[in-house]
Amino acid sequence: MKEASSYLGREARVAWAIALKDMQTYYTRPPSLMFGVLFPFSLFLSFSIGRNAPLAQQIPILIAQTLFFASSSIGPVVIPSERANQTFDRFLTSPVSLLSILIGKTLAGVIFGIGISIIPIIIGIAFFRSQITNIGALIACMVLSSVGFSAMGIMFASIPGQSPGQVMMPLNFVRIPLLFISGVYTPVRELPSWGQAGSIFSPLTHTIELARYALGGETFFGPFLNIAVLTMYTAVFLFMGIRFHVMNQRKE
Amino acid sequence: MQTEHTIEALDLTKKYGDLVAVDHINFTVKKGEIFGFLGPNGAGKTTTIRMLTGISIPTEGTATIMGHDIQRQTIKAKEQMGIVPDVSNVYNELSAWENLIFTGRLYDMPKAFRESRAEELLKMFGLYERRREEVQGFSRGMKRRICIAMALMNKSSILFLDEPTSGLDVQSVLIIRDLIQKLNQQGLTIFLTTHNIEEASQMCDRVAIINRGKIAAINTPEKLKRTVKSLQSVEVAFEAASADALKELKELPNVSEAVKTGDKFRLLTHDPASVLASTWNYTQSNNLKLITINTIGPSLEDVFVKLTGIRPATENDNRWADRRGGRQRMDEGRKKE
Repeated sequence: MKEASSYLGREARVAWAIALKDMQTYYTRPPSLMFGVLFPFSLFLSFSIGRNAPLAQQIPILIAQTLFFASSSIGPVVIPSERANQTFDRFLTSPVSLLSILIGKTLAGVIFGIGISIIPIIIGIAFFRSQITNIGALIACMVLSSVGFSAMGIMFASIPGQSPGQVMMPLNFVRIPLLFISGVYTPVRELPSWGQAGSIFSPLTHTIELARYALGGETFFGPFLNIAVLTMYTAVFLFMGIRFHVMNQRKE
Repeated sequence: MQTEHTIEALDLTKKYGDLVAVDHINFTVKKGEIFGFLGPNGAGKTTTIRMLTGISIPTEGTATIMGHDIQRQTIKAKEQMGIVPDVSNVYNELSAWENLIFTGRLYDMPKAFRESRAEELLKMFGLYERRREEVQGFSRGMKRRICIAMALMNKSSILFLDEPTSGLDVQSVLIIRDLIQKLNQQGLTIFLTTHNIEEASQMCDRVAIINRGKIAAINTPEKLKRTVKSLQSVEVAFEAASADALKELKELPNVSEAVKTGDKFRLLTHDPASVLASTWNYTQSNNLKLITINTIGPSLEDVFVKLTGIRPATENDNRWADRRGGRQRMDEGRKKE
């Protein structure tokens, strides 16, 4: 028991060290800022300006988009860059499990995602009189979404490549279509039935729904289903990420 | 766990589709020795080191580090080793100090210990004064030293060095070779891959020659040299040799091959004593004046050439004449296996 807790403590400390190093090294890199900050804000502005809906109602969408893009961008920036200069090998030769290495990397994405998504929350409260009516839902939204999307980025980062662009391109093939079925531009309620059926499978739908619920809005699927789906996706992305990285080691 | 061998490879194999990069190799490395892994480009040196250090998963076979299986007891095995890859994989955005401290954190070293160890290593490598500078401003030799310092942070029992001196200036090469010898004298087992035959010959207690994924020979450099007695030679230089000298020397008894290298002639033979005598007679009968005459034993390079079939020279199928140039081409053309 003592041995197990000592092992877990050690793994946690190393994972945290990896996350801190990634934060120090990669947060201000141009691809992180481009895909993690500029991209979601630009997308939001290009689709919200000129629409009839008041901006206050669109704050949950901005929160969800920043969580989605910022969290999922760090892994695809960090891992290919580390592959290129072979620093990723340092982790593989260190006495730490692959799971803890990937948790460390995921954590860097989580903190980035949460940090960036706080900006629209502050903007909403300060300028658009948004009110947080359910802080628990907001925390669940931010934590589950950032972990899930960061793990999604780590999973995509298993694509062999030595530049962030090689991972960002396939990742964007998934991220951008998800915007159209997740209630970003058209609320889920107004989607055709096939669109509604499809939207349940998009994790982004549940992030938007939870953010909307936390700020006093309505959810189509209900907060419990939102939380359940996001939890499931987080587990699936983490599991698949580890599987793919092990497959890479076999191919190495 | 006490074990006689620090590294043990059993039927270690790596396949990439149909290509067998490393083919059922077996070897052991004894505690405290410098073990050289010598081979031409693409022979499987780096692939082997990547399997031994847990970066790559073997297709078949096993490897143990201090008795711990690298696949099944990964953490324990990795705690025992430090690794210097063929590329100095330092974090360019971090300072020298931060690179070492981060390595200490990867090994979960307590704060006070990692800081004192980092200070000790930076002083040892002459980089303490520049510890706060970002590594990206460092020279290649300095980055190499940082990389070795990072590998020594955890006070491991085994140090893996993949082409440690490749591409460095002469001063850095000498510093690193001296350091490797010192570390070995302190009890560290060294596993060294190199394509530099002279380096392997000078530094290693034992050498394994790998070619096309298979181990061609393992022994001490001197014993390996003795296996190719046929490559002994007599080297002779005359003050003024005739244009036909090479042809005439080739026809001397017991000379299997004669090669002109600069102002010298090299006569390959099984029997250096009789060739010495006949060369002396040739000198007398042609009224030549000898400048120098030496018998030369086979070098590790000869063993390497014989076992791998790699012939550094390309012109006139003459492996003696262009040896230096050939070695240089091997250095320049070296790529990651």
